[in-house]
Amino acid sequence: MSSASITALRVKGATKQFGGLKVFEGISFEVAPGGVMGVIGPNGAGKTTLINVMCGMLKPTSGRILIGDQDITGKPLHAVSRLGVARSFQQTNTFRSVSVDENLFRAQRFGGSHGGLDLGLSELLEEFGLIRHLHEPSEKLPYGLQKMLGLIMVLAARPRFLLLDEPAAGLERRERTQVDRFVEHARSRLGCGILIVEHDMELVRRLCPYILVLEAGRLLAQGSPADVLSRKEVIDAYLGASEE
Amino acid sequence: MESMVSTGLIGLSVGTQYALISIGFTLIFGIMGVVNFAHGGFYILGGYIAFSLTHSLGLPYVAAVVVSMSATAVLGYVIEILFVERYVADHMATMLITLGIYQIMSTGITLGYGAEPAEFRFPVSGSLRGPGFFIPYANLVVFVVCTIVIAGIYYLIFKTRYGIALRAMADDGPVARAQGIPPAKMFPMAFGIATGLAGLTGALVTPILALEPHGGEAVVTKAFIVVILGGLGSVTGAMVSAFLVGLIEAYSSVYLGGSKGALFLFVVVVLILLVRPQGLFGTVDRKA
Amino acid sequence: MTPNRHRDFKLDICSVVLILPLLVAPLLTESPLLDSLSFQIAIGVSATLAVYIMLRMGLLSFTVPAFMAFGAYAAAMLAKGGTTNLLLLMAISFLVPALIAVPLGAMVLRLKGIYFIFITFVFNEILQLIIFETPTLTGGSDGISGVPPATLFSLDLAGRAGIVLVPVVVCAAAMLCTLLVTQRFRAEFTSIEENETLAESLGVAIWKYRTIGFVASAGVAGLAGFALANMLATAHPSSFASWSVINFIAYAFIGGRGTMLGVVAGSALLIVMNSIFSSYAQLSAGMNGVLLLVVMIAAPGGLVGTCVRLYGAAKTRVNGALTAHVQEERA
Repeated sequence: MSSASITALRVKGATKQFGGLKVFEGISFEVAPGGVMGVIGPNGAGKTTLINVMCGMLKPTSGRILIGDQDITGKPLHAVSRLGVARSFQQTNTFRSVSVDENLFRAQRFGGSHGGLDLGLSELLEEFGLIRHLHEPSEKLPYGLQKMLGLIMVLAARPRFLLLDEPAAGLERRERTQVDRFVEHARSRLGCGILIVEHDMELVRRLCPYILVLEAGRLLAQGSPADVLSRKEVIDAYLGASEE
Repeated sequence: MESMVSTGLIGLSVGTQYALISIGFTLIFGIMGVVNFAHGGFYILGGYIAFSLTHSLGLPYVAAVVVSMSATAVLGYVIEILFVERYVADHMATMLITLGIYQIMSTGITLGYGAEPAEFRFPVSGSLRGPGFFIPYANLVVFVVCTIVIAGIYYLIFKTRYGIALRAMADDGPVARAQGIPPAKMFPMAFGIATGLAGLTGALVTPILALEPHGGEAVVTKAFIVVILGGLGSVTGAMVSAFLVGLIEAYSSVYLGGSKGALFLFVVVVLILLVRPQGLFGTVDRKA
Repeated sequence: MTPNRHRDFKLDICSVVLILPLLVAPLLTESPLLDSLSFQIAIGVSATLAVYIMLRMGLLSFTVPAFMAFGAYAAAMLAKGGTTNLLLLMAISFLVPALIAVPLGAMVLRLKGIYFIFITFVFNEILQLIIFETPTLTGGSDGISGVPPATLFSLDLAGRAGIVLVPVVVCAAAMLCTLLVTQRFRAEFTSIEENETLAESLGVAIWKYRTIGFVASAGVAGLAGFALANMLATAHPSSFASWSVINFIAYAFIGGRGTMLGVVAGSALLIVMNSIFSSYAQLSAGMNGVLLLVVMIAAPGGLVGTCVRLYGAAKTRVNGALTAHVQEERA
């Protein structure tokens, strides 16, 4: 086992079933520290459920989730967060009625920030244009700023691994490069390993050296974007081509 | 042997009463997400209206009951439009609003009728005696009337278009709305139906039990139990568990005695809920 | 009103300060009316604080009368057994319900909102029945009467001053406990109320904080129950009927559910008003009901919340006018 996988986020044979409905089955992969992995696939392929299982919001029907050798399968959301695996949400998710700086105060408090390592949050706030709105209630912010605030808050939990659920969803084209900046910051300053579930293929190509394709609950393909996205079965999965 | 059958009959009769109260209660919760703390107020108001009509105006009992039911239904309709409609999305707000309304109702009744229980007699007395059982005529009449009404409600809810629309709203509000079902009309009517049922039950039952200003409180507590046991929002659940509760209560009062009986009932309900928290007929992801 | 850490803390401190005059009132005046109002307010505030603590987590808890009963009976039994030291009685009236709240909370707190309310309501009823069924322990439907008044070392607390002082001291303890719990865990409680999933995803162990709030609420309710029983010299089941919780809920919402100051304001206001209309005793519940409706419909922040909002709006207008004035000057 290489030293990288000693503290990698590992999913082994994860299966999730709701009654008779099998959402995904036998999924295995690793996210290395500092690595960025994309997960793509048509709607309904089980991508968000995969994140829900990895972060502890749902228990897998079978299979295991580990950080290195530490088994975190079935631990509740808050425990997994404290252990270093934090997730973002597809919709904007902040404490809506309180100000931006109160949101950050809470995120840092809940994440157990001990000062010391400077997470560089103020740089991000500055870059994304949130500094001007520090004292405004977060619900008054435009969608894009709320989304970015949500991402910054996740960083306050000092994660070792980030699970980003469609970080670019709802963002305008010109705002999407902020996601790039965020991912870069998380990688370089915190050494996070990052899993990104996304529909925006350009973003995936820009940021993810390695991607997984999930379709109908199974791993259809994995590899570099250039490689995977040109494969026939992947294209077919998206376009729903039928055999004539 | 006589007492077992008789107790069972009483239990069934009580069950129909609980069913009428609880169906209304669970309907309001299921469709609107509102916990109607004023439900007991409508119950006791039904009793007092019928009492006034028979004792002061000399109206025949049957007419008084019908008028009571209509009055409480209309009152509920109006109250819903005036006070509840705007806050339907906020569970806590509607709880407090209905609590406030209950306070006002019970104070109004105390001011109007005094704090002492009223002498409200059922027009029919005596009991039906048969081989191995007996049941007071009053309970029998109430049982028959309630059963007819329950059948009517069942038909309304499950067989008519209006009822299907109501259940659609209970199951999935946004989808029902998308189908063009207007909640603005449905909510007041549903509320009015529920309060009408409560008033009807009050008019029928208070002559048998007791008519005093705070009589609605014990009734609401029973409704809570029936509704949670049956599953919040489930009309079938309310019907079934009403009978269950009525029977358990009847048997345990007779064979265990007064408060031990009630205690037994509560403990049984709590145990069932620990095993199956959503109630007998409830679904797990209730919007509670 | 939108929560604001710093302002709300100041308001909470104000509430503690406001209670202090009640400590000296009975010593300075000879008015039985003032005495009666003082201890009624002290008990009312304590019980309402138990409701308040749960409200800070967005939960409406109907367990308050039951925990008041536990506190009252535990203290009454201890007092009849010979221990009348005020501090010990306060301690036991806090600890017994608090300890019971731990396993009860484990069962009940994971229930969703409405189920939680119903079950806690039913719990009161169960407790009343248990009291009736255990006459040897609890005196059944007669309750425990002839409870000796609390004593504090050599101080005489049985006299007129003592009857008022004990509830006020208990109230002060209740306020301190509430202040501690709600301030220390303010961020967690408010976050759980507002957005539970987000809070949990950031690392908040929801069950832990819910339990802390529930246990604190139980202890504070127990203190209120002890104060009531001490004043009446009786622990009686009718003092702890399920529907009596409506009054405390009304005090909290009418006064303003966002701060302790609201609790004090609501309790004081309503208790005084109820006593003014006491000749029309029947009216008080109705009046509370009307005020509750008015608050929910027109002034959701309650008395204190509305004042805060109006003050904030006035400040903005003044600032706006000043800025406009300054700009005019410059032009």
